[in-house]
Amino acid sequence: MPAAVGGAAAKPIDKRKRGEKGEKSKKRRKSETEQEVDQQSQITTLETEILESRKHYNNIARLIELAQSYDEDAETAQSAVESLCRVFLHLLASGNLVKRRDLSEKDATVVAWLRERLAEYKDLLLSLFPRKQAGLKALVLAMAILKAEGQHLGAHEESAFPKLFLTDIVRALMDSKAERLRNEFLEKFVDEYHDIRFYTFQSIRDLLSEPAKALSESAVDNAFDMLIAIEDMPDSSDDLVEFYIDPPKSKKHQLFSISQHKKQAQEAWLALFRLGLNREQRKKVLEIMADSIAPWFTKPELLMDFLTDCYNAGGSISLLALSGVFYLIQERNLDYPAFFTKLYSLLDADILHSKYRSRFLRLLDTFLASSHLPAVLVASFIKRLARLALNAPPGAIVAIIPWFYNLFKKHPLCTFMMHRVPRTKDEKDRLESEGLADPFLPDEEDPMETHAIDSCLWEIVQLQSHYHPNVATIAKIISEQFTKQSYNQEDFLDHSYGSLLEAEMSKDVKKAPVVEYMIPKRIFSKAETGSDEKDNLLVSLWDFGGS
Amino acid sequence: MAGSQLKRLKSSLREQGIIGPQQSKKQKRKNAEDQKAKPEKRIQRSEALETIREQFNPFQFKTNARGPKFEVTTNRPANDRAARGINGRPGLSKAVGEQRRRETLLVEMQRRNKVGGIVDRRFGENDPTMSLEEKMVERFANEKLRGHKKSNIFDLEDDDEPGVGLTHMGKSLEFDEDEEKPRDDFEGEEVPSDGESDGSHAERRMLKRLRLSEADGETGEEDQPERKKTKKEIYEEIIAKSKHHKYERQAAKEEDDDLRAELDKALPELQALLFQRQKPQPKANEGQAPVLKVAGMDKTALDKDYDIRVKQLAADKRAQPAERTKTDEEKAEEEAQRLKELEEKRLRRMRGEVVDDSDDEDEDGDAKAKKGRAQSPGPDVDMIDEDDEYGLGKGIRMRPTATELGFDDEDDFEIDDDLVASGSDLDLDEDDEDEESEAESEEDDDDDDDDEFTKGLLTEAERKEAIFQAPSKTEGNDADGIPYTFPCPETHADMLVVFNGIEVTKLPVAVQRIRALHHPKLDSGNKERLGKFSQALVHHIAYLGERFEPHWFPTLESLIRHVHSLAKTFPIEVAKAYRTHVEEMEKDRPLALNVGDLVILTAVGTTFPTSDHFHQVVTPAMLSVSRFLGQKIPQDLGDFATGTYLSILALQYQQLSKRYVPELMNFCLNTLCALAHEKPAANATNLGGFFPVHEPPAGIRIDGAGKTAVRKLNCTDCQPGRDLSFREANGLKVAIISTTTAILKAAAELWGGSKVAAFYETFLPAQKVLEFMTSKTNSQHLPSELVTAVREAEVGVARLLKLAEVSRRPLELHHHKPLAIKTFVPKFEDSFDPDKHYDPDRDRAELAKLKAEHKRERKGALRELRKDAQFMAREKLRVKKVKDEAYEKKYKRLVAEIQGEEGREANAYAREKALRQKKRR
Repeated sequence: MPAAVGGAAAKPIDKRKRGEKGEKSKKRRKSETEQEVDQQSQITTLETEILESRKHYNNIARLIELAQSYDEDAETAQSAVESLCRVFLHLLASGNLVKRRDLSEKDATVVAWLRERLAEYKDLLLSLFPRKQAGLKALVLAMAILKAEGQHLGAHEESAFPKLFLTDIVRALMDSKAERLRNEFLEKFVDEYHDIRFYTFQSIRDLLSEPAKALSESAVDNAFDMLIAIEDMPDSSDDLVEFYIDPPKSKKHQLFSISQHKKQAQEAWLALFRLGLNREQRKKVLEIMADSIAPWFTKPELLMDFLTDCYNAGGSISLLALSGVFYLIQERNLDYPAFFTKLYSLLDADILHSKYRSRFLRLLDTFLASSHLPAVLVASFIKRLARLALNAPPGAIVAIIPWFYNLFKKHPLCTFMMHRVPRTKDEKDRLESEGLADPFLPDEEDPMETHAIDSCLWEIVQLQSHYHPNVATIAKIISEQFTKQSYNQEDFLDHSYGSLLEAEMSKDVKKAPVVEYMIPKRIFSKAETGSDEKDNLLVSLWDFGGS
Repeated sequence: MAGSQLKRLKSSLREQGIIGPQQSKKQKRKNAEDQKAKPEKRIQRSEALETIREQFNPFQFKTNARGPKFEVTTNRPANDRAARGINGRPGLSKAVGEQRRRETLLVEMQRRNKVGGIVDRRFGENDPTMSLEEKMVERFANEKLRGHKKSNIFDLEDDDEPGVGLTHMGKSLEFDEDEEKPRDDFEGEEVPSDGESDGSHAERRMLKRLRLSEADGETGEEDQPERKKTKKEIYEEIIAKSKHHKYERQAAKEEDDDLRAELDKALPELQALLFQRQKPQPKANEGQAPVLKVAGMDKTALDKDYDIRVKQLAADKRAQPAERTKTDEEKAEEEAQRLKELEEKRLRRMRGEVVDDSDDEDEDGDAKAKKGRAQSPGPDVDMIDEDDEYGLGKGIRMRPTATELGFDDEDDFEIDDDLVASGSDLDLDEDDEDEESEAESEEDDDDDDDDEFTKGLLTEAERKEAIFQAPSKTEGNDADGIPYTFPCPETHADMLVVFNGIEVTKLPVAVQRIRALHHPKLDSGNKERLGKFSQALVHHIAYLGERFEPHWFPTLESLIRHVHSLAKTFPIEVAKAYRTHVEEMEKDRPLALNVGDLVILTAVGTTFPTSDHFHQVVTPAMLSVSRFLGQKIPQDLGDFATGTYLSILALQYQQLSKRYVPELMNFCLNTLCALAHEKPAANATNLGGFFPVHEPPAGIRIDGAGKTAVRKLNCTDCQPGRDLSFREANGLKVAIISTTTAILKAAAELWGGSKVAAFYETFLPAQKVLEFMTSKTNSQHLPSELVTAVREAEVGVARLLKLAEVSRRPLELHHHKPLAIKTFVPKFEDSFDPDKHYDPDRDRAELAKLKAEHKRERKGALRELRKDAQFMAREKLRVKKVKDEAYEKKYKRLVAEIQGEEGREANAYAREKALRQKKRR
């Protein structure tokens, strides 16, 4: 057999040579195309021969050889790969690759040889993955082979999913840099077919938990990306109907059980977590935690440690972990000790400047929504945010003040922070003589102990004279009568300098703006020495040359 | 009333005086004469008869079976009919319905299944609501329209065309003179409207016919009260009147024209007369009687001439008293008054109240005028004397000196003097918001002002060069190489071309010349041109700022002032230019501003009132300043310097309104923390504040600058990415620290004194940071001079903090009038009507009304249909009966005829038979 293969392999080379000799160099271009046509027709004949009779099985080896020469002649290789796929699909369908007891020794050798060739072909396909054009096609072909294998290669009627091949594919995908390929795989196969998703989770878990082979950094990243991209958790077992390969007959199979699906996903994620995540990855995971990851977990408690760690980490990570923790509290009855204390500690100097400000404020609104919270606690939050607002950008101020209003409506006891009339004479006298020190303790960590409720919101009153007219107007709502039931917080979140400016700029100047009626005599120059004029602030603090 | 029906009738007739005892012939005649004289009596009589008739026919009325309702149950005014409990007149309405059916339905029925025939399409023929007269008028109008090409009913002009009018056999129908008479009874004499008169012709004809027919009837017909005019007639009257007036006017005008032409003809002679005889004129007047011919002109001509001159004299404008020249004091007082007004207006704008019809609030929906700002209106240090600072009003120094108001300004910038000192009206009016109403007067003022302003320019130029008088013709350069004439550059690219070759420091001269050359008064297109020029100039300022050199700043200043003065004439253009620049800046480089942007932001701050609650230019500019301060994390010393400049600018923007700028505090404190030698402790609350601290880039912290001299920052420092030696860098750092300290101090002074409510919380971190700067580890790296300054600032802030703490009071924001609790007591309706719906929901009430109406209509329609059917059945029956009767009649006739014939034959037969028998016998 090998000899025959060798003989067959020599043939096309001869042909090519002959072709080159036969044609004059005058029409070189033509000769090239002709040569290509030759190759194409040769491949077609090879393929038809294989399909015709078992005698020509050696052609497979030659086709593989042709296909491997991808670097030299891409087009030929491509068509060789395609025709090989057809050949193997045919062979698989006709059962030529199935080992049976009743086969003669010779036939068994043939089957074994064919199987070797198939493995060779698979490797070839996987090796094509990193290529740009060929990669996508190779993926499709590989999946076709996978399907055929699953359907025809399984023993005893019971179709077995070719896990090994899928694992190889996933590994190749993880190793390759082609993001498009991965997306294609996820989009066309993983999201579509539930069995593929099931086994992909399994393979990812297997690959990630292989202790022997240290995975490269990029592979882990890719696995992470893939896991993040898998969404659409099924709601019940009845939804599991889309299968790539005919599903097993028995209804008891794990493929039909949603909990098994979840389990696979959970294990894949856990395998990833075990490898450790860097800061960026953590942020990413936390961002989608409540929406995409946690629902996959059959035992979300397993996330508890992870989330608690993140929550305690401080900074933006704790902000992001908040939603995950909230999910656990809500869904899993997680008892987080001193939750509000922790929440209160998140209100640091950066929070109103943070990128995740509106996300945090939304959550904060949820946490403090209950009207059964102690007013003292709510007052602490209000006062602290008011303090922070003194140094906050306009977008943040605009967001928190309507929220204050809503809280005041919900907790009328807190309204003492806006209106506190000294009752006794003693009190009045003391105010006259000593003024008032703010009773609020900014350094106190426990929101129940800050005495915020005894304080007043001078900060917001100060913001009523904010330089931006709209902010000032919004700040004035706390000194107006509280006639409105509540403000819709969503209207006030998501403002920034950019959006405020755009809002200003989108209005056209129709009416003539007021112009200063006096043209100033000095802008950049200093006043004459000896005159009564006063330098303006700019000139007195800045050097514009001149005198 | 007892007795039989007949008896009762008799008695009631007698009661009404319709019948009485038998009258003698004499009496009868007398009565007849009386009746002729008093037609009312006849009317009374018929009325009385009517009532009697009604009285004696009880089935004519529909009444409530139980008599009238009690008054309390309904609120409807009880009119006489309702009072008598009469709900309707079934007999009458039935008769009316029957009549109507006979007119319409019956006609239709009869026409059924018939084809062809003549349809009467004359206008209104089938409209029973139109009177004969209306029909005629309408038909006539239609006919006229058909003949008319334009066929416009409102075309008033050509209606006296010939051939329009009633004709008979091609001849117009004219009525005799004496027939015009009765017409006056109906219409005003001054209404010669053709259409109307023709309409009334028909009417008259009809009347005539009537008269003929009842010629010997009662004569009272003519004496009917005057008929009420229809709307149409009234309008026609009005139209005719206006036409009449128009005609009169035209005639008068023509007369005038004739007169004028005559005068024109006589003018040369008149002139000769005038110039020749200056003196003899009075003589001529004296000697009118003896000499008929004076100086070769006859007397009438002279008279005329005299009259004309007298008229001319009367028409001459009288000399008006000039305004008294005001003394300097008065001028100053006026000026002060004006400034005070302007200041009040500014304060109102600052509080965000609506200033007249100021657009500020319209633009900014949220920023509705809200009264009661916590702080007292800030004093205007520049404009008004210090007495106002404490709200004491005008104290002793009511009249500021002229110097203070800035009229005698030795500045070389002449425009200023003109604008401020003499062109006060312009300023006033431009600030005055009701431009719409005063458009006219303002235009004048504007012109006056501009005139003076250019005059100033021109005289200035004239003094130097006489050539300037004819600028458009001269070409040439002055000593500095600046040409005297310029085209007006309308885009920045043009401007660059025009200013090419002119030294930057000489630009103001060029700008001044362009403004003089293209003064709006010189050409109508100049206004637009200068508007565009001002926009290009704004652009150019940014352009120059970007490529600045330190000695250019006086030039930039003067250019900005030029733009300012242009902004008074072209506020929208200049504002747009500034806004475009700010917008561009925000799109391209919000966090990397260059010096050009800084200059523009400064210019915005001086050109427009920064204290306004909302301002179309200042608000965006302020936002972009604070955006830089708030979001920029400085990467090198240039960023720090830029930020420092903007901090100063932000503070200067708020000089008058004293609004709070959080970003300023953040940036200043951050700068100090970043530049300090020692890193502040990780916990930000150690510094007592809640401002976010950014980690500065490496090598920014100050190190060993103990010997460096303290200098001021300048614009060169703002340029990013400069390579600085260690010494230079240290110098810059020291400069930044010292400026920032000064800013903090200025800010504390600005906002101190309980101008802002949370001064303590705001400045506590500042104090801590300043304290931190003077700590031992930090101060040893700073020059001692600076340390002293910082310490001084710290002490100042600490003092203000203490003051703030003492003056702090608990908030009492809600001394509002308590809101009334919503009441749910039903409203008591005073004039309740059970028939009416009192649904508070307007839509529902409307719907219910419509439904009721629909129901009523439906019922009515059903009833009508039913009656129609009955009518038709009745008619059919009648027709059938008539037919049957005719048949029967015919049948009977025929039978009779036959019978007659048969009888005759029978008789003949019998006779014959008898004869034969006789014969036989």
